Amino acid sequence: MKPPPPHALVSKLIALTLALLVFAGTLGLGAVWVRQEIFSTANRSRGLEVKLADVERRLDEVNAEVAAALNPDALLRRNDAMRLGLAMPVEAQVARVGVSPETLLATRRNREIFQLDPSPARDGGPIRFVSIR
Amino acid sequence: MSKGFAATARMTLLASGVLACFVLVAARLVFLHVLDRDELLRYVEQARRTITVEQARRGAILDARGNVLATSRSEVTLAIDPWAAAEYLEAEKNPARRARRRLEQAAKRGQLASILGMSAAEMEQLFRPGRRAIAWEKDVNDEAQDGLVKDRWIKVREGLDEATYDRIAALELRGVVRERRYRRVYPAGQLASHLLGYVNREGTPVMGAEHHFDLYLKGQDGWIESEKDGARRELAQFRSREVPAQDGHDVVLTIDSVVQHIIEGELRKLAEKYEPQSATIIVSDPRTGEILGLANHPTFDPNEFNRAPLAAQRNRAVTDILEPGSTFKIVAAGAALNEGLVTPLTTFDCGQASVLYRGSERRLPKEDHDFGRLTVAGIVSHSSNRGAAHLAMLLGEQRFHEYARRFGFGQPTSFPLGGEVRGILEDPTRWDGLTITRMPMGHAVAATPLQIHMAMSAVANRGTLLRPQIVREVRDSSGHVVRRFAAEERGQVLRPDTAAILAQMLHGVVGPEGTGNGFDIPGFEVAGKTGTTQKIVDGRYVTNRHVASFVGFFPASRPELVLSVIVDDARVPHGNAYGRAVAAPAFKSVAEQLIQYLDLKPVMTPVTRQLFAAHGGDR
Repeated sequence: MKPPPPHALVSKLIALTLALLVFAGTLGLGAVWVRQEIFSTANRSRGLEVKLADVERRLDEVNAEVAAALNPDALLRRNDAMRLGLAMPVEAQVARVGVSPETLLATRRNREIFQLDPSPARDGGPIRFVSIR
Repeated sequence: MSKGFAATARMTLLASGVLACFVLVAARLVFLHVLDRDELLRYVEQARRTITVEQARRGAILDARGNVLATSRSEVTLAIDPWAAAEYLEAEKNPARRARRRLEQAAKRGQLASILGMSAAEMEQLFRPGRRAIAWEKDVNDEAQDGLVKDRWIKVREGLDEATYDRIAALELRGVVRERRYRRVYPAGQLASHLLGYVNREGTPVMGAEHHFDLYLKGQDGWIESEKDGARRELAQFRSREVPAQDGHDVVLTIDSVVQHIIEGELRKLAEKYEPQSATIIVSDPRTGEILGLANHPTFDPNEFNRAPLAAQRNRAVTDILEPGSTFKIVAAGAALNEGLVTPLTTFDCGQASVLYRGSERRLPKEDHDFGRLTVAGIVSHSSNRGAAHLAMLLGEQRFHEYARRFGFGQPTSFPLGGEVRGILEDPTRWDGLTITRMPMGHAVAATPLQIHMAMSAVANRGTLLRPQIVREVRDSSGHVVRRFAAEERGQVLRPDTAAILAQMLHGVVGPEGTGNGFDIPGFEVAGKTGTTQKIVDGRYVTNRHVASFVGFFPASRPELVLSVIVDDARVPHGNAYGRAVAAPAFKSVAEQLIQYLDLKPVMTPVTRQLFAAHGGDR
């Protein structure tokens, strides 16, 4: 049998080397692309983390401001500033009743609307109905 | 020369060239990874590795209704890196563009100065690059080891809020750097300051719930190990280790902000009117031991703790002791009733100045009035010193002492926020001949306001002494309950029926002949005991300085609230700062407000001893 010419072997070797280079290059480019993706995903993720932390910080800020606005002293100051005249009732203003205060108030209101024997509040002041049940 | 030879020669040359390249690369790799490895690694570590600490957010402290009493908010510390600003200008090689950059930056520095309320000249001075001295051996990061490094952190302002920082960030001024940190804030100011405590500038919790529940509140800082680029920005893709921060738990107190506000308001009035040395008001639920409000005068604002004197920061309800005075008479009366030695109708001669006790004559304490014969109920309602002495002598030293301890005197109440003292209750072996006649009226014994309060609370709670509760539960950052605190019994002081009878007798104190006459609230059966103790000055009792107290609960037949008002050294005309004159009006005022706020229902059936006995004091 006649052996293959030497340049044919070299050509095959070159072709194989080229194929290997192309394969390795593809792998390399793939690796670069994957790394690029990891990079951009990591940065996006970090960006979201920063945003989340920022939102939480602002939430804390708002919560602290709400708490400061809702403390009893602040509410009393606002009550004075807005001249609302809100005050805790004293026992003399409270009528203890054995039925639902809502029903009683509704009945009283209806009587006033239809002008059926409207009963004035005691001492001319507001009355707070409290159920004793 | 044949073509095959030429091809082979070229290939050999090519192969040799490639091989030589590989050998060079390999040699370089040996240099990098073997010979210079240590030095290069150290350089990389210093130049690229970064560890960022993620601060955990400290948990909030809430009241029983979910109102925030203490929380954390972020604040910004602003600094200047003048070198970064200079490098930004130098990076632009085009002279025209560099000049434009310089003008833009100068204009922005002017805006920054106006936001921070500084002059433009001051701001320009801050942006002038300088160096600062460091230890010579640490100076390894720049070109010259001369003990000087570039100063890249010139602090401009601390405690900036986010809104202000947003305006500064919008300027996009080069060389402005910031550091964020959480700062503790107390939105309600001085409300419940002695219970909350505070966290100081270094982040150390100093006292109160902040200190004692720090384990729950503080959380766990996280950290990220990563690499940074030349501009010191983190390269997120090179994160090697990441431990997320665990935010602290929220602590829910038993305190009600409105109750606390009511009693602090009353303390302010007392302070304005009587200028006392100190005063304490405590409100609690006798059935659970939960403290709804506890306030002291003087007080302080934990937001400005550094301005408050240490004396104002003391929780006097547990740190200060005083002689309980007549409020201590519940011990003698309760013990004698509980032992079956007397009934409410048993009488004693309270007119005698001395009695024979254990073979020797004992001088009895003075009375304000000549009472003559009094029943046990009368002794309590009239607050007879001699009557109380008779009851104690009937019990004997040992039994009387044992009941005093059962009521919680001479031992800590196990107050959850610590810092409390145990008071003074000597063993009977160390008593002198007069102690058995003086201790029943609250002399020769010392207690904290909270001990006195809890002793009265035991009477209101069917004779069971409880541990005071200040924390209701602990929640994690997502709102789930991690730990719940329940009522803890410390012991049975009195039988329930005895406690009910004593409650009825204490209701008599605000009756027509009682020392607290006029301080009842119709329908709410106030039961209480006035107390007035002469203060000891230079080792002697003085007649013009007193500790006034009124300790009680209501309604007597189904107690819902225990309330104590104790005022130390109130200034009143003629020095008569009696419990009835100073503390009882405050007690009534607070009680009336609490009845409305907590919507307590009046008692429709008048309280009777038979009714109590029939129900064993049951509610």
